[in-house]
Amino acid sequence: MVKLTLIARVTDGLPLVEGLDDGRDVPDADFYKQQVKALFKNLSRGQNEPSRMSIETGPYIFHYIIEGRVCYLTMCDRAYPKKLAFQYLEDLKNEFERVYGNQIETAGRPYAFIKFDTFMQKTKKLYQDTRTQRNIAKLNDELYEVHQIMTRNVQEVLGVGEKLDQVSQMSSRLTSESRIYADKAKDLNRQALIRKWAPVAVVLGVVFLLLWVRNKFW
Amino acid sequence: MGTENPNPPSYPVRPAATPFAAMQSTPPFLSSGPVAGSESSSFRPVPPASSQFRAPPFSSGPVVGSEVPAFRPPPSGRSNELVGPPPSSSSSSSHGPPAAGFQRFPTPSLPSVGHAVPQRTGQPVLSPTTRPAAGTVASPPISLLSQPQPPSIPMGSPPPSMKTGQVNGNIPPPAHQLLSSSRPNVQPSSPPVRPSYVTTPGISQATIPGYVNAQPNTVAQAQPMQPASFTLQQRGYAPGAPPTPFLAQQRSVNPPSLYSGNQMQHHVVAPPTATSPGLAEDFSSLSLGSVPGSFNAGIDNAALPRPLDGDVEPKSLAEMYPMNCSSRSLRLTTSGIPSSMSLASRWHLPLGAIVCPLAEPPAGEEVPIVNFVTTGIIRCKRCRTYVNPFVSFTDNGRKWKCNICSILNDVPGDYFAHVDASGRRVDLDQRPELTQGTIEFIAPAEYMVRPPMPPLYFFLIDVSISAVKSGMIEVMAQTIKSCLDSLPGYPRTQIGFITYDSTIHFYNMKSSLMQPQMMVVSDLDDVFIPLPDDLLVNLSESRNVVDAFLDSLPSMFQDNTNVESALGSALKAAFTVMRQLGGKLLIFQNTLPSLGVGRLRLRGDDIRVYGTDKEPASRAPEDPFYKQMAADLTKYQIAVNIYAFSDKYTDIASLGTLAKYTGGQVYYYPSFQASIHKDKLRHELTRDLTRETAWEAVMRIRCSKGVRFTNYHGNFMLRSTDLLALPAVDCDKAYAAQLSLEETLLTMQTVYFQVALLYTSSSGERRIRVHTAAAPVVADLGEMYRLADTGAIISLLSRLAIEKSLSHKLEDTRNAVQLRIVKTLREYRNLYAVQHRLSGKMIYPESLKFLPLYGLALCKSLPLRGGYADAQIDERCAAGYTMMALPVKKLLKLLYPNLVRVDYSVVNLSPQTDESNIIRKRLPLTADCLDTRGLYIFDDGFRFIIWFGRSISPDVVRNLVGEDFTGDYSKVSLSPRDNEMSRKLMKILDKFRESDPSYYQLCHLVRQADQPREGFFLLGNLVDDQNGGANSYADWILQLHRQIQQNT
Repeated sequence: MVKLTLIARVTDGLPLVEGLDDGRDVPDADFYKQQVKALFKNLSRGQNEPSRMSIETGPYIFHYIIEGRVCYLTMCDRAYPKKLAFQYLEDLKNEFERVYGNQIETAGRPYAFIKFDTFMQKTKKLYQDTRTQRNIAKLNDELYEVHQIMTRNVQEVLGVGEKLDQVSQMSSRLTSESRIYADKAKDLNRQALIRKWAPVAVVLGVVFLLLWVRNKFW
Repeated sequence: MGTENPNPPSYPVRPAATPFAAMQSTPPFLSSGPVAGSESSSFRPVPPASSQFRAPPFSSGPVVGSEVPAFRPPPSGRSNELVGPPPSSSSSSSHGPPAAGFQRFPTPSLPSVGHAVPQRTGQPVLSPTTRPAAGTVASPPISLLSQPQPPSIPMGSPPPSMKTGQVNGNIPPPAHQLLSSSRPNVQPSSPPVRPSYVTTPGISQATIPGYVNAQPNTVAQAQPMQPASFTLQQRGYAPGAPPTPFLAQQRSVNPPSLYSGNQMQHHVVAPPTATSPGLAEDFSSLSLGSVPGSFNAGIDNAALPRPLDGDVEPKSLAEMYPMNCSSRSLRLTTSGIPSSMSLASRWHLPLGAIVCPLAEPPAGEEVPIVNFVTTGIIRCKRCRTYVNPFVSFTDNGRKWKCNICSILNDVPGDYFAHVDASGRRVDLDQRPELTQGTIEFIAPAEYMVRPPMPPLYFFLIDVSISAVKSGMIEVMAQTIKSCLDSLPGYPRTQIGFITYDSTIHFYNMKSSLMQPQMMVVSDLDDVFIPLPDDLLVNLSESRNVVDAFLDSLPSMFQDNTNVESALGSALKAAFTVMRQLGGKLLIFQNTLPSLGVGRLRLRGDDIRVYGTDKEPASRAPEDPFYKQMAADLTKYQIAVNIYAFSDKYTDIASLGTLAKYTGGQVYYYPSFQASIHKDKLRHELTRDLTRETAWEAVMRIRCSKGVRFTNYHGNFMLRSTDLLALPAVDCDKAYAAQLSLEETLLTMQTVYFQVALLYTSSSGERRIRVHTAAAPVVADLGEMYRLADTGAIISLLSRLAIEKSLSHKLEDTRNAVQLRIVKTLREYRNLYAVQHRLSGKMIYPESLKFLPLYGLALCKSLPLRGGYADAQIDERCAAGYTMMALPVKKLLKLLYPNLVRVDYSVVNLSPQTDESNIIRKRLPLTADCLDTRGLYIFDDGFRFIIWFGRSISPDVVRNLVGEDFTGDYSKVSLSPRDNEMSRKLMKILDKFRESDPSYYQLCHLVRQADQPREGFFLLGNLVDDQNGGANSYADWILQLHRQIQQNT
């Protein structure tokens, strides 16, 4: 069963379409929508994600494909055949590219192609029941292979971004702090020098002064 | 007014111009009718009545009242008599009795004049004549004038000065006399004075100029003088004086006068003074107040201010702040915000605003749309105000200062632009958000909790026997079908239907079907929703099924004999179906809900409860189910529109709460008959379905620190203290908000208001419409009065009154309205009249000249009028719900409808009759205006009443209604006929309808003396007349005046 469907632009994570009355029978749909948005954000940061992927989350699983800088994502029950889910996304992709292909880059506002939801709704219904003749035929279609599509966990995926962030943060902190260390070391060095030679200089100065005074007045 | 505020430079400065202005100002109101009236009235009293009254006039307030009644009887008759002798038409009356009248005239003449006017048709002419005379006379009596003048001058600027002036220069007693005299009754005081006046005709003239200046404040002074002068003048000058020039002046004056009386006067003053000082005086007296005494009979009726030009919006604010949003969207009850709580507490009218966020801009204008998606919308980081024309850029354009909370915000890099020497951004001309008061932002994703919803229409139709019988189902089905193509939001629009009687019928509209499938659920307690996916379908996909359904709907229930109606359960079912998306739910209810949850009792209307504490309960919603339901519906963005059709009691009071708390609307068609009301239902349903609608909206009004909007009135649900949830909004809905001061003293000069409506358009875009306006802070009560806006005040007042009527007796509600007006005018009076000893006059600010009339109209409006027998309880409640949502202009039209005579233009067959001319000639709403030979249209924005005079030419009737017109007019409908007259009339009606498309005005034909039909449709609605125990306009003013004086 398809639960959620979203289409977003990969370059900036701008949502383009979301399915009508999505999340009707998902108790905490908002939570999963948040995850999807985080996922889009990750994608827009330019990490080189594979163009097809499945991500497990709780009792559900996200499937997405990325084509032409657009990400098509759907959330299904775990039991829902992967093959069908990807075929559903392919259908959406073909239609979306046909209708809006040339406007994707110029879309200026969120949900600019919300009208596409009617098509989405229609297509979704076709895939709702896995036992229809049509869907069984698709399942048996050998040409469409989904085995090599990687499956990962959502924590992992979202976590990767986090960890990378952490590492880069730490490394940048390291550089800045080592620079500070170098500065401080230089400073200390100078101070040590002064401390070492200052008394000698003062004594010499006094001696020379006395000599000079004596020469002058006597 | 006396103390002018330096703040508003735009306004004319009173001090300089005041004297003249005052004179002028008054004239503008009175201009045509009033002026003449004033003169004439003065004359009238003189004859018999005057003598009697003289004694009382001195006793300021109370006396006046007493006088009035006495006067009434004499006025009309006397005036006529008087007029007869002298050649000069109406004014002639004064001339006629010169010798005898003299005594009487000198003092009282002025006040009385106003009264006389109404009767006479020729008023304008008379007035001019008298005036010129005065002017001519004036020159000689300068000496006398000198004294009065000084006071008058001070008048212009500060009232207090005026007082002093009067006391010192003028003889105090004369002033009193004069004042009293100004009122018809006053005469007695005058006796001593008279001699002096009479003796010096010239004096009167001289006085005039002085008076003119002082008028607003000093009017009293001027007036006394005037009377004398008038009498003199009239004799000599009346014939010779050219009336026309004066009239012209007056007219010109009028427009400016619209503003606050005092200041406005300034503008006007200059021209009139030059022409005739005498005129100025007259005007002032009239303008300042209608004389209580003058209100005799119907005489001075015509001189009373009437909004015959419709709603006149004050323009001063727009001139002060040209970047403000239009008054269509935001109207303040007074544009002068009081600077302190103590000042606010002296403003007895409601302080607040009427907001119509989606008001339609006039053709050719569009709301500019700004897309900030890339930078994010520029808003204040503290108060969340949207960037607007009143923000200022500082620090070379790197920071902007919020106009509402004064905090400095950073300008984002993408939005940065340099600032020139004068502080303007160099890119100002490309930034509509910095130049326009009304703007629309495209909302970025942060403003969406979910993707934009599609427009959704769900129909909940009662198909019990009464619905079938009245033909409602058929009309409704046809109308919906004809609207399918124009429903907004194609191709996303969703649609669904449920019908119900004692059971609930669902319809499967799946696109793959040929015919809809009906499913009947009879368990009302726990409604089971079959096929939740296919009850609500995409219209473009299931179009064929929907068409088939609507075609078969009328015949499906043709033989239904079920009398029950399970509205509550059906409502719950609809709610379950719609919950995911929200949208608009249209309920077609024909009987009292009688089954399942939410069934209502036949509470009915009981004559015995009227006047008791139980009375308001019949107007208040009974079953909490509907309110609870409304709260749930709003939460899920569902707006409910109720269409009620029953001829019996349906408890609109309870049903209406559904609409009230979901931002909907109540349409009520009592005793619906398809043959009669077909067009009305069709038009209004079509408009409801096809007008541009904003979905899942929320609205918030922000305002500067120190003031706060506390109470909101209208159809909405309050989500937090100041966030209005509006599941659906359109241009026909307005909301009222009351303003209160939070700090005892406001330190700033200007208060800013910003209305922001976040909504989803039918095309699926999320937008924010922002209206910004600025208003000056004033420290002077007079200034508040000057900047008052009667339309907004009445709008707010009527909402308060209607809400009050749900918990209080009608009588109490009406009294409360009256009390507010009385307090207001008394406060104003204390401001100006007392110090100038204007004891006998009723004075009011120019800006509020229609307030008493609208107040009266409000008390006579359907929700508040009379008692048990005056209106059906359902009609009362329906009208109340309607009025709660009406925009200002439509409400004013409903309160004071248009009455126009059309027989000339209908009969006159010349092809180019200018229909727009007819529309302009509005008549006062009094039976006296109805000529038995005439054909009149009464238009309150919701219906037309066409009145046929008794002696109208049979030819006209035959052409318009056909040969069979002898019978019952209630059964005759006005349909286009194949003749010129009928086509003409239809053209006129169409023109009227075009100007007000929100509702369909159904024609009701009424023949004169065809009781009780005439009384019900027309006579009961003539606001100026006495009807059903309610006051006539003149009596009302009199009553107000008496009450105003009681405590002064």
